[in-house]
Amino acid sequence: MKDKLPIDLKMAWRNIWRNFRRTLITISAIGFACVLLVFMLSFQLGGYETMINSSVKIHSGHLEVQAKGYNDKQNIRLAIPDPEIIGKICSKLKDIVSFTFRARAFSMVSSGKKTYGAMVIGIDPLRESLVSTLEKSIRSGSYLKENDKNQAIVGSLLAKNLKISIGDDLTVLGQGKDGSIAAAVLHVKGIYNSGMDEFDRSTIHIPLNTFQNIYSMGNSVHEVVMIADSLKHINVIKRELIRNFRNHNIKGLAVLSWDQLLPGLRQGIEMDLISGIIFYILLIVIVAFSILNTFFMAVFERTREFGVLMAIGTTPGRLVRLVLTESFLMTVVGIGCGMVMGIIITLFFQFHGIDLGGSSAMLRHYGISGKLYPRLSFISLLSGPCVLFFITLLTSFYPAMKIRRLTPVKAMTYV
Amino acid sequence: MQIQIAWRNIWRNPRRTMIMLTAMIIGIWSMIFLGGMMRGMMVGMINNGISTLTGDIQIHAKGYRDDPSIEYFMPDLKGIEKTINKILPRGSRYTSRIRVNAIAANARHSTGVTMVGIHPVKEPGVSFIGPGAVVHGRYLVPGNNNGILIGRAMAEKFGTKTGHKIILMSENIQHDIASKAFIIMGIFKAEMQSTEKHFVFVTSSSARHMLKLAKGASEISIILPHHKGDKKITWNLRQAIPDSYEIHTWQELLPILTSYLKMFDGFMYIWFLVIFIAMGFGIVNTTLMAVYERMKEFGLLKALGMRPWLIIRSVLLESFMLLVIGTAIGNCMGFLTIHFLSITGINLTSLSAGAEFAGLSRIIYPVLYPKDIIMANVVVIGLGLVVSLYPAVKAARFTPVEALSHE
Amino acid sequence: MHRNCVECRDIIKTYHQGKICVHALNGVSLSIEQGEFVALAGPSGSGKTSLLNIIGGLDKADSGSVIVTGKSFENLSDSKLAKLRLNNIGFVFQSYNLIPVLSALENVEYVMLLQGVPAEERYERSIQILNDTGLEDKYNSRPAELSGGQQQRVAVARAIVSNPMLVLADEPTANLDSETGMGLLEIMKKMNRLKKVTFLFSTHDNMVMDFADRLVLMKDGEIVGDKNKV
Ligand SMILES: Nc1ncnc2c1ncn2[C@@H]1O[C@H](COP(=O)(O)OP(=O)(O)OP(=O)(O)O)[C@@H](O)[C@H]1O
Ligand SMILES: [Mg+2]
Repeated sequence: MKDKLPIDLKMAWRNIWRNFRRTLITISAIGFACVLLVFMLSFQLGGYETMINSSVKIHSGHLEVQAKGYNDKQNIRLAIPDPEIIGKICSKLKDIVSFTFRARAFSMVSSGKKTYGAMVIGIDPLRESLVSTLEKSIRSGSYLKENDKNQAIVGSLLAKNLKISIGDDLTVLGQGKDGSIAAAVLHVKGIYNSGMDEFDRSTIHIPLNTFQNIYSMGNSVHEVVMIADSLKHINVIKRELIRNFRNHNIKGLAVLSWDQLLPGLRQGIEMDLISGIIFYILLIVIVAFSILNTFFMAVFERTREFGVLMAIGTTPGRLVRLVLTESFLMTVVGIGCGMVMGIIITLFFQFHGIDLGGSSAMLRHYGISGKLYPRLSFISLLSGPCVLFFITLLTSFYPAMKIRRLTPVKAMTYV
Repeated sequence: MQIQIAWRNIWRNPRRTMIMLTAMIIGIWSMIFLGGMMRGMMVGMINNGISTLTGDIQIHAKGYRDDPSIEYFMPDLKGIEKTINKILPRGSRYTSRIRVNAIAANARHSTGVTMVGIHPVKEPGVSFIGPGAVVHGRYLVPGNNNGILIGRAMAEKFGTKTGHKIILMSENIQHDIASKAFIIMGIFKAEMQSTEKHFVFVTSSSARHMLKLAKGASEISIILPHHKGDKKITWNLRQAIPDSYEIHTWQELLPILTSYLKMFDGFMYIWFLVIFIAMGFGIVNTTLMAVYERMKEFGLLKALGMRPWLIIRSVLLESFMLLVIGTAIGNCMGFLTIHFLSITGINLTSLSAGAEFAGLSRIIYPVLYPKDIIMANVVVIGLGLVVSLYPAVKAARFTPVEALSHE
Repeated sequence: MHRNCVECRDIIKTYHQGKICVHALNGVSLSIEQGEFVALAGPSGSGKTSLLNIIGGLDKADSGSVIVTGKSFENLSDSKLAKLRLNNIGFVFQSYNLIPVLSALENVEYVMLLQGVPAEERYERSIQILNDTGLEDKYNSRPAELSGGQQQRVAVARAIVSNPMLVLADEPTANLDSETGMGLLEIMKKMNRLKKVTFLFSTHDNMVMDFADRLVLMKDGEIVGDKNKV
């Protein structure tokens, strides 16, 4: 029967509902904070993932293998001499979804009418399409094909600045790997718009073979770009690659992950997260003070009752436990309701997205187009409520400890 | 009299009052503190944007904004300057620049840059560049024909230093490639690394010479006294200057920043509301407790013929006093915190790449906006009174019978 | 060997209120045998509550010795005292006796629960005692749903269900009308006879004094009279 429930728990549960209104308000305060924490953390973490994945698909991949020092100096001579063997290693690692080779050189690009400096990037069209969103971002003309030669696709803003369109000729002029002059005429085959202005203003892509010819690269490339199946596996892949390089006795290469390749993105995320955490902690502290009074009242308005309980033989320790159980129950109910509501709200927006309207220019800057989607995860669901739980329980300790100093006579004559 | 009674009632349960006050103080403090921080970031971003060669207002030849090349230059500089002089308020500063995309190269490296031909004397009052920004070597002097200033980050990347050569290549006015060797006169530092990487400065005379431009400039950048009145002055300028020119405010010139700023107010006020709600639960609960404790008293007062709205008023008065004390202390603490932080500034250097990515400066100086302070206080006191209405009405509804049978 | 249930010697209790000292008890000595039914009377402020609290181990005397059911209270910790109260002494107070969130049955069971009596025995004994005190149809009522007299009967039931040697009651009938009060006293007396439990209760009511087997009179913190009527 119902006697199965320990008496203390039963008493605690009934006690918290003695003052229905007050308990409801207290639980609401906890629930409110909880909903907010779950939703906001899901929103932030989801946003980061979107930012990372979209930046990664435009720029760097999750991981890159480069010659040591290339990332800092971007010197054309710091190349990977034998990319094929690295390709073989990559195809063996199961966490790597796809990979491609790239080579890049800063050059002057001229349309006859206009001249600009731009980054010329040599790509393997087929592999590239599995790694980056370049193919999808073609706005006019078409993407590069396997055996294209001397064809180029150009960023939309650069095309505009150069006043060129599909079919026009472009001259590139730069320095080859061996120090010679590198020059070639290319046909514009397509124009892409990634949404990231800086990228669209300063890059053109050409087939890797053509690049290697123009810039006297031989077989070498500058980057092996990889996409991992999940952000979580990046470190595993990194370790595996380094181990494999050692086994194959490959020297002079570095494995860099997205956070090293795009330090601004990582630190931007850190900064956003830190400021978020400051916000949340303040919120939790304010909620804790808001409900501290309830916990106090629960003790003080029942002092006479505690006196009687002590008189008939209940130990103060047991009374402390009773009061803590009450706070615990309120907190758990509040957090439980808050989490359920938080999950519902988060999932709703996870499917429908959040339109931040007028801010799209800013979001484009971060490589996000259109809506933002929160993403519910274990971390976003549990970390906020856990902290909230501990802080509220901590809060309830203070009033509960007041009971320890109570004596039956003092308690019973308390007004 | 009323106030005295309310004051005594508040302190009947000092612990409860102190706890509630603490919650309010932390709430208000956090509103003001975080508001100041966010505004500080915002002001930093704007100042950065404006001093990185934007200015409050810019004038260009029509077409330059779409295609920033030398062919869209303003030939009649003198005429425009004359018009500007008439319209701009006293204390305004302006300068003209020649600004084109170029390629900078030395023996080992090359990169795309923005070459800016400046008037060495007028420029320092308008943008960040000036003698103060130069960390090695010297600033440019008028008539210097082959001196160049490059950024610290670019100097590091190029592995070069003052006295060494840099070659700039760009299209001249006849659509030919012009190239010219410059000697590094000085190395400048800037708030943002990207500025140090992307801008090089030469004198406007040497830029004209290189680009075969007889006269004129690409842009005029204007700084208004206290950055005030840009919209109105822009409008006046548009009336006075022919249609073959375009005039823009910094808001139009920096669309990313502007859209970010638009979100700012919204975010901040949502945050205020969230903090208030967290506090509001406490306010309602504490007031309810106080009211229920005094149920007998209110019942008695009613039995004695006190009108309900007087009871409502007295409960609201107590809440109001609590709110005023809480906000007053919270405001003071907020001001003090902001005051001390605005002296030292908050250093984001350890996160500088991230700060830069977000368009922030390396050091944030918190700033208080009166409208935020007013908003914070209005939210807390106003909404605080609104939520206190519930317990107040409860108190007014106690019937004498109910009150006496309570407990 | 014959042993007294309560054995007090020279109890002194002084309350300090700021600079004023109130001498609540001025050397009270009192012996009560097992199974007695004793009333404690005296004007307001004469020290009845103070004495009951000290005998019950709720409060400590400044000096003097208290031996209840053969155990001395001297040098006992709070939790030892709590245990002593739990197993040997029952209490009935003037009001706020019961735990509001527990039903009559649960209130009675609660003490045995603290003692660790198994569930079934607990249940049976509670039912038995509630029947004995005339509360057959009120097992599941919460205190708020009971009249004042019924509440006090539950309190008496709770006080004796654990089979204590001594039940202390501070003005148990003060809030009741005389008829209900007499009903409560009759139940107390029944329990006294049935289980040989010693009862010591304070009162202002003459009828209640008459009902007791022995009447102890107090004044100004001293015992001024002790009448054994049996
Ligand atoms: N906690 C206390 N602090 C100070 N004085 C106290 C305290 N408790 C009791 N007293 C004083 O001790 C004296 C005895 O009080 P006590 O409560 O024992 O009297 P009583 O006989 O029970 O009176 P009543 O019949 O009114 O209940 C009184 O003068 C009272 O004022
Ligand atoms: Mg008394």
